Amino acid sequence: MFIVEFSDWLANTAISQYFQVTLWVIPGMQTIHILCLAMVLAGAVMVDLRILGRGLKSESMAAVAERFLPPIKPLVIVLLITGIVLIIAEPGRTLGNPAFYVKMVCLVLALIVTARLRRYAATATTGDRAPVLLALLSMLLWTTIIVAGRFIAYIEPI
Amino acid sequence: MLESFAEFLQTLPVAVLVSENLFPEVEAAHVVALALFFGTLAIVDLRLVGLTSRHMRFTQIHDQVLPVSWFAFVLAAITGSLMFMANASTYIHNTPLMIKFALLALAGVNMLFFQFVTFRGVAAWDSGEPAAAAKLGGYLSLGLWVAIITCGRLAGFV
Repeated sequence: MFIVEFSDWLANTAISQYFQVTLWVIPGMQTIHILCLAMVLAGAVMVDLRILGRGLKSESMAAVAERFLPPIKPLVIVLLITGIVLIIAEPGRTLGNPAFYVKMVCLVLALIVTARLRRYAATATTGDRAPVLLALLSMLLWTTIIVAGRFIAYIEPI
Repeated sequence: MLESFAEFLQTLPVAVLVSENLFPEVEAAHVVALALFFGTLAIVDLRLVGLTSRHMRFTQIHDQVLPVSWFAFVLAAITGSLMFMANASTYIHNTPLMIKFALLALAGVNMLFFQFVTFRGVAAWDSGEPAAAAKLGGYLSLGLWVAIITCGRLAGFV
């Protein structure tokens, strides 16, 4: 199977071997990964809560979205980089893992939802119906991403 | 004394339940909770040190964002306690975890000092340049929580 062959090849590359024997790489990358996902989750939740009429109510929806959604892009880039390092360090554990693919599908969906929320916030006029479902979906997807990420450690790779 | 207390915790039915059947779920909930906690607290702390959200009064951010942090903190504390109980006898010999607990105590002292001393003079620095004590409290909080999350992740590797 392609994934298994690719994982085995990756695990035998010099860079993977280096990451495997360098003790700080995995906990260090995981820690940066967790700190960045914390910021992403908090930013998304601030916007979602504002749409649900909670949280930063003293600011307009457009202002909240304009402040908390743009940082998601650079944070996701750091998450991708640290994530890729973690895959290189343990290819078999991640690439053969169903939880990893659940996480990636949810990530794509979360980014689409976030982009739609940002477009809504930028163009909304008073009287527009707030996209409550989209806000709830955003919270659900980011939460699922984190849960699936943690479950990579517990679900057996196939 | 500590040994027998850990032994006692670990034999409680709820600890046995978590350790035998629910550890991954509780751990995943802990990561979601700590991410939401740290991310939202960072929004408050970054305003406290004067780096972001300067157009808003500190008390606005404090009043509208911190309740989310407290909600997440309670969830993180409950899930964290359950995880600790599940493996208490091992965890009391886990150095990063013991450092984490010490840092949690320091973060608590920092928070209490801020709420009961620094925050009393908030009217003077609610808008504009934050007071030196406010900045110090904010940077201490950010530093301590980054260290706490780092130690928490390291605890899984020893």
